Amino acid sequence: MSNFSYESKFKYDPSDLFGHMQEEFPQESEFDVVIIGAGPNGLIAAAYLAKAGLSVAVCERRFEVGGGLATEENLYPCYASNPHVLYHMMVDYMPAIRDFDLDGPALTWIKPNAQTGMVFEDGSSILMSRMVQDTKDSISKYSFKDAITFGSVIRKWRKIVDEIVAPATYVPPMAPIEITMAMERTELGREMLELGEYSPFEIITNTFEHEKVRTMMLYASCMWGLDPHETGLGFMVPLMLDRTVNKCYCYGGSHKFGSALAREVVKHGGLILEAAGVDKIIMQNGRAVGVQLAHEGRVLRAKAVMSTLDPHTTFLDLVGREHLPDSILGDVEGWAWDKWSFNTLHIAADEPPKYACDDPWIDEAFATVIGIESVDQLISHWDNVAAGRLDLTSFGGHSTCESLLDPTLSDRPGKYVSMFQIHAPYGIEGGWLDRRKEVQEAMLSRWQKAAPNLTHDKIVSIGMEDPEEIEIRFPQMRRGAIKHGDYGPLQMGCFRPNQDCSGTDTPIEGLYVCGASTYPGGLVLGGPGYLGANKVAEDMAIAKWWRPTSEMERYIRIYLQE
Amino acid sequence: MGKDERFDIVIVGAGPNGMTTAAYLAKCGLSVCVLEERTECGGACETQEPIPGVRIYPHAMLMYASAAPGFEQLELHKYGFRMEWEPTNPMEAANAGLACTDGWRAISDADKLGWAKIGGMLGQPPFTRELLRATFWCPPHPSDVEVTDENTPYMQVYKKHQPDIWTPELREMTMFDLMDEHLETEPFKTGMAFAAWASGAAGHWEGVAIPAALCVQLLTLPNTGKNSIPRGGLHGYFHAIHRAAVHRGAVIRTSCPVDEILIEDGRAVGVRLRETAAAGGKTIRANKAVIAACDVHQAFLKMVGPKHLDPALIRTIKDISLKNQTLYVSVFHTKKQLTYKERFRELGEARYVGENRQPGLGIYPCDSREIYYENVRDVDGRKGQPTVPPERALWFQTPPQSFDPTDCQASYPRGYISNAFEMAVTSPDYHTEGEDALDRHKDEMDRFMRESYSQMVDGLDDDNLIHHWSATGRDIEFRNTGLIGGTWCGSRHDEDQLWTNRPLPELARYRTPIEGLYHAHQTSGHPGGLCLMAIPYNLMHILIEDGIAEPGKWWYASPYYIPQEGKISARRP
Repeated sequence: MSNFSYESKFKYDPSDLFGHMQEEFPQESEFDVVIIGAGPNGLIAAAYLAKAGLSVAVCERRFEVGGGLATEENLYPCYASNPHVLYHMMVDYMPAIRDFDLDGPALTWIKPNAQTGMVFEDGSSILMSRMVQDTKDSISKYSFKDAITFGSVIRKWRKIVDEIVAPATYVPPMAPIEITMAMERTELGREMLELGEYSPFEIITNTFEHEKVRTMMLYASCMWGLDPHETGLGFMVPLMLDRTVNKCYCYGGSHKFGSALAREVVKHGGLILEAAGVDKIIMQNGRAVGVQLAHEGRVLRAKAVMSTLDPHTTFLDLVGREHLPDSILGDVEGWAWDKWSFNTLHIAADEPPKYACDDPWIDEAFATVIGIESVDQLISHWDNVAAGRLDLTSFGGHSTCESLLDPTLSDRPGKYVSMFQIHAPYGIEGGWLDRRKEVQEAMLSRWQKAAPNLTHDKIVSIGMEDPEEIEIRFPQMRRGAIKHGDYGPLQMGCFRPNQDCSGTDTPIEGLYVCGASTYPGGLVLGGPGYLGANKVAEDMAIAKWWRPTSEMERYIRIYLQE
Repeated sequence: MGKDERFDIVIVGAGPNGMTTAAYLAKCGLSVCVLEERTECGGACETQEPIPGVRIYPHAMLMYASAAPGFEQLELHKYGFRMEWEPTNPMEAANAGLACTDGWRAISDADKLGWAKIGGMLGQPPFTRELLRATFWCPPHPSDVEVTDENTPYMQVYKKHQPDIWTPELREMTMFDLMDEHLETEPFKTGMAFAAWASGAAGHWEGVAIPAALCVQLLTLPNTGKNSIPRGGLHGYFHAIHRAAVHRGAVIRTSCPVDEILIEDGRAVGVRLRETAAAGGKTIRANKAVIAACDVHQAFLKMVGPKHLDPALIRTIKDISLKNQTLYVSVFHTKKQLTYKERFRELGEARYVGENRQPGLGIYPCDSREIYYENVRDVDGRKGQPTVPPERALWFQTPPQSFDPTDCQASYPRGYISNAFEMAVTSPDYHTEGEDALDRHKDEMDRFMRESYSQMVDGLDDDNLIHHWSATGRDIEFRNTGLIGGTWCGSRHDEDQLWTNRPLPELARYRTPIEGLYHAHQTSGHPGGLCLMAIPYNLMHILIEDGIAEPGKWWYASPYYIPQEGKISARRP
């Protein structure tokens, strides 16, 4: 039985014509833990804690769980779009996948060899593959030196990821001084520290010599939101490049990952409510004691409230300014949103895109970057976007055919679902509503130029989702912020969302934060939810049924133990 | 891949019937695996958001299931089941009347009384739930029991509680006959007959007067006249069922289409998945039973196949009639709010419902049954595109999105989203111009829909219309293969295919000629569609009879159920 407590007041009375025939979920109920948001982090936290025997409720504002892990018929009918198709970069490391055995009968992960391609206007291309030698072969078309460099650098960087960055993702954050001291212990750690002193632009240009190789590598390093100019987060370049060639595809669509996590929650007695937006975190004597649901007024009381939302929503809107300790008010108000959002063109077509280029294997790539010719152009595109502009004569982005690896996304045989996504400002000059048509046409013609087979007669249906629509569809991604906030050095590590809250607990007793705006961050890392569950389990003094992964244990042994 | 997986029960299809069956059987302690072809469970209980902020229920929209024993037996409230009660006063809504070509026509007191009486509300105490349960939540009698006035469940209920409804002719009547006897005004009768036709059993079919009338009553009476829906739409209701199943240990696999039901020595022993299925082991074995919770055509003609069935049965299964129309559904996205035409404004602001103030309409035009006949003739008789002019096209509109404040539409910042606007049209499989006719006529149909709706509202002009979204019956069939022929409530609910005849007399008790194979789908079992949790409840009686399910104390059988001789009775001692 779902193990929350409540008092049933339902009584069926046939003589009461205005009474109801069926009992509903109660107006008042009590749980050990209430979680706001059923995205990957909320579900992961809930699954761990429910399996640990706590009574857990997850409140989700949308009609469906998964947050961004949505596979839905945006191109109605019969074609499921899968916007988070490229986000499964940490399948190799995520503790939740191992602890809940989500790699097997429950979920199928495909890791294709052809991972990320880049096609240039002159028909040349680079293809980054999971197998290093294949990537080197492709780079060698331009510079044998770069190919050799890639081979040696990626080997070292993979080690950095494998031994430090990836396991650290699932271990509570440390202050910069502590990180320095820990990393000094090994040569690999010192190399990682050194990277932090450079910007992604510097790291890439210092490492590679050929313009096309640099362009590819810079795109891959920064496509998820690293600022190419900023120093301090250089250690993320190895992570981004290594993961660029190690992405997994969630067969059946990303939503299956969300559903599988939700089933773990429910299997262990947890409750999930959809269409249940929280409009208030209930405070009592300075302590968070529950939540109130919008519109229906239901109250769920809890010993711990965990929010997966951004700091503005959690602290300013739900807790309320009047309950906030001064120590965090400034940090919360100063929270910076993502520098850019995405504008996405979805199409359903008779064929997958076939790129006019020198390498036929590009057509099999998981993702293909088009429209970017040089490092300068790439940087000016990003600079434009950060300034609220789009230069429709010079822009690019990444495309992917979601159904290439997965026929289940397209109910009509022989048809394909693809998307082309560009970095785009949330607030665009002229406003999205007025500029939609123009942007859509420019994107389609850019795509058709790179993939000439996508002629109008082959396109069954087309739909564009602009950054404002990201927020409309997924209200938790405020201002279209897919990571709930910028990836800058002042908002990463122990500063995400701020020093008081990056350990998932907050200065408000009973309130925890464990979404993309908390360490380690967004992009379906599954880190904040895991760390939040650990923290709540420790604070409630319940036995953990799980152990850190072997990579985490090794990392802790080498870098953290006295 | 190692050994085949084994479960006690394998269920094909994770729609409302498959999942409710899973929840019941998992609660009996059986190991259950549910296999779903699509990426998401829910079948017809589906929600989509084709444009960000615009949520659409492409199929099931309305709540018919309130009287189901499943709410108590599966304890859905503990899995988050909540309703969204329509905020308006039901009495006020009833006074609004029926929409006719010249404006609103009041519902008379005699109409209200007669309708309440048919629905059991005038009994002392009212017997609405008992009546609805008797009609829908009771398995058909065993084939060796003759169906009589005395043992037909709803006849027994009327005889006991409302003897003036009970007549020897009641089981022969059409719904129009019944209404002519108990109601007064033509528009009300026309509206109700149309609602019944669109809910499964038509107003002019003999022998189904009560099931037809009660289909409509299912919608209104248990919710006290309010047009209410579960929070999160029917997919929200489905979630509660889904979670009841998962919590009891049912294993759910999506993106796992079943190609074949494995039959060995005359017994169903498992299923074989399609090669592209999202699971390593393509064979899943069933120790006790395979339950086909997918449509009757796929189940028998494709998954079982001719090698295991005799040709006469194959022919009758092919002949199961889907002539039950499909719904052509449109949703309009406009810059400015739609407004009533002058002659419908008398009721004022009260008829603009919900947060984004959409006109709430119901059924139009209800002038007379002649209009109903003309529309039915086009769809079921001529089986082609509409020949009625747009001003006589009979349509309905369901407002659930409008009063669900959690719905994105309530706060949609980029204009106004209309309620779903629906018209019954010929189902693709029966269209004389071929099964893709609706797709080919889509532009023309869209214009027709706009013209028809414009009989009552202003605002569908080119300048104001941003987007006209529509789903043809052909789309429905493609995206949701369980909705064969695009018929949203399965095969026809007429006398030849209802109760002990549904879908055929030899399959009426959910058993099949293959041992260990049962069916549980709206196309194949009594009482058909409407997401009632009725087929699974009724099937439970049969699975208990066959010794497969042994429920605990929470179980109760239908009081009108007749056990099959020589079997275990599903009635608790």
